[in-house]
Amino acid sequence: MKVSTLLRFGGAAMAAALTLTACGGAQPGASGGGAPTDPITIGVSLPLTGDFSEPGKGVQRGYEAWAKAVNDKGGLLGRQVELKILDDQSNADRVVSDYESLIEQDQVDLVFGPFSTRLVVPSARVAKEYGMLFVEPAGAAAQVFEQGFDNLFYAAPAIADDHYNHLAETIIAMPPDQRPKTAAYAAMDDPFAQGTAYGLKKKLEAAGIQTVVDEVYPPNTTDFGGIAAKIRDSGAEIMVGGTQYQDAVNLIVALQQLNYQPKLAAFTTAPTNPEFPAAIGSKTEGILSPTGWTAEAKFPSNVEFVKLYTAQFGSAPSEDEANAYTTGEVVAAAVTAVGCAAQGDCQQKLIGWLRTNTVDTVVGPLSWDAQGRPQSAHLIQQYVDGKIKIVLPAESKEAEFTFPKAAW
Amino acid sequence: MTGTLLFQSLVLGVLLGGLYALLAAGLTLYFGVMRVVMIAHSAFLVLAAYLAWDFNQRTGLDPLVSLVVTVPLFFLAGVGMQRLLIARLRPATVTMMSVLLTFAVALTIEGLLGFVYSGTQRRIQLPYSGASIDFFGARIAVVKLIAFGLAALALLGLFLVLTRTRFGQALRATIQHPQAAQLLGIDTNRIAGFGFGLGLATAAIGGTALALDSTIFPSLHWHWIGPLMAIIVVGGLGSVPGAAIAAMLLGIMQSLLQLPMGTTWAQTVFYLALFATLMIRPQGFFGGRLAQRF
Repeated sequence: MKVSTLLRFGGAAMAAALTLTACGGAQPGASGGGAPTDPITIGVSLPLTGDFSEPGKGVQRGYEAWAKAVNDKGGLLGRQVELKILDDQSNADRVVSDYESLIEQDQVDLVFGPFSTRLVVPSARVAKEYGMLFVEPAGAAAQVFEQGFDNLFYAAPAIADDHYNHLAETIIAMPPDQRPKTAAYAAMDDPFAQGTAYGLKKKLEAAGIQTVVDEVYPPNTTDFGGIAAKIRDSGAEIMVGGTQYQDAVNLIVALQQLNYQPKLAAFTTAPTNPEFPAAIGSKTEGILSPTGWTAEAKFPSNVEFVKLYTAQFGSAPSEDEANAYTTGEVVAAAVTAVGCAAQGDCQQKLIGWLRTNTVDTVVGPLSWDAQGRPQSAHLIQQYVDGKIKIVLPAESKEAEFTFPKAAW
Repeated sequence: MTGTLLFQSLVLGVLLGGLYALLAAGLTLYFGVMRVVMIAHSAFLVLAAYLAWDFNQRTGLDPLVSLVVTVPLFFLAGVGMQRLLIARLRPATVTMMSVLLTFAVALTIEGLLGFVYSGTQRRIQLPYSGASIDFFGARIAVVKLIAFGLAALALLGLFLVLTRTRFGQALRATIQHPQAAQLLGIDTNRIAGFGFGLGLATAAIGGTALALDSTIFPSLHWHWIGPLMAIIVVGGLGSVPGAAIAAMLLGIMQSLLQLPMGTTWAQTVFYLALFATLMIRPQGFFGGRLAQRF
């Protein structure tokens, strides 16, 4: 630990550095705290293999894009940033030991969150034990924010239950003669997917729209014929899916095979995936989906992100990459404002700063409540003439919201 | 619950049962011929599904055309796999060791699929993906009907090969009593290789049928191996007709039970049937004495 560093960061940093030296054991020159020339190390555990490997790799690319963008501009606090990414194999036990070793052994200065609610909760707990700031790109389910975490911030516009808010408002505001009276819900037994569908269900039920089908299916379901048959038989006027990817695609095709024609069909996650139109073909027309991010959004850092990312990886980013990038932006904003990046007291200052401030990101300005819930809303997109376009809310729309949708 | 829904679910169950029968046929054959528990069977199904998808992407032709290539290819791969890998296991421990060996093969195929095609979930887009025909008030999806037809043809073909040809007789003799078959001059090693090839050839057809109406991804095979294993145990290990009957019954039961119980509980029908079989009739309900009848 060099004296010049201590002078530079003042008393608080001294306390932090002392704590570090005390806790970190005899590791002279360990990267924690860091001299002005040492890079800021950031520890991340991601599902690079296993069930979540595809989105996990997306998050990895988002983090790498962020690190490159920061380093190309001279780094944070004049120091380069360096990512240390471990593979947790989509396993909740691995993710815990990964973060423990990143914080304990590797003495990383900061941590970023992993992917998926199931991995966010155990890893946030580890971060809380070590008093680390925990900004995460993927744990949107309501449960994440009910665990008593005071160090967690979700780097996206809204939690799962609020994803369909703009759609709920629009449906409820319809004149009574046009408003749908019955709704069918099908949701994967997964905290995120279920949260999205049930968030909308609660609001529509309160407005008097009757639930006629409410199906929950396990994540390994591949055959959706039975669920589709129930939905068709109910004659529900609108169809809401709390879905990931393959389930949404299989369910939509199964519904089309039974010639079920709802006035509105909304599914989470899948429709915004570039692979979706390749799978469903011309029958995407009118399908709705909430999204936290689009490449077209005109927020200054988003325009830059899309350009830099495309240059770096040769293809446009998707939502996973954008959420990861947002995580980086949020942490960077706190580090820049507070002026430190180290374990110890610095983390509490970063947490305190994020509680009370708003950060401009690729998904727009973000602020959080005391449990880390972001206070914005998701946009609602709809397939119009074969392209997915923002239709709600009115002030951001690229196309008109179509209701009832055309037959598929 | 309306009568239409009940009938629709029954129709869906029959179609599903047909697909299960096709996917399970090879699995029961390997066990019958060689006492091999082939964990990699569903991985080969997914491999065939990917080849069908890739073929469709590259040529724009119907994925069914890919069968012309994949069926012989899988047959040869099966013969090769039996001769080069399975045959080297010690006969006394072949059942146990084949679990480990084919588990490794399954992981290898999954890894290679992820490497070559990435983990992105794919689906073949067909002009008739969403098309269906009316059948007494129920809808039958064209793709499901094609898959059912493929299953019926493949199983009929398999049945004819096993019962009407010299090779089939030799194969059944090998299944029933390898030593006696050898005494009669049957080259049981060769026959076992061909039997394995035949099993993998059904995987090529099954995988293509699967690709017509589902979204595929490298780890999909883990979702299938459990139900398929349950089917062949219920049907009597080694019995192709037994597996077909069990597949049909379980498919229909799953589809109908979904109405009162929901998707989650309806899936447990496979495992309940498996437990019940092991408790009441471990040799299977339709196979008679272990792997002796066809």
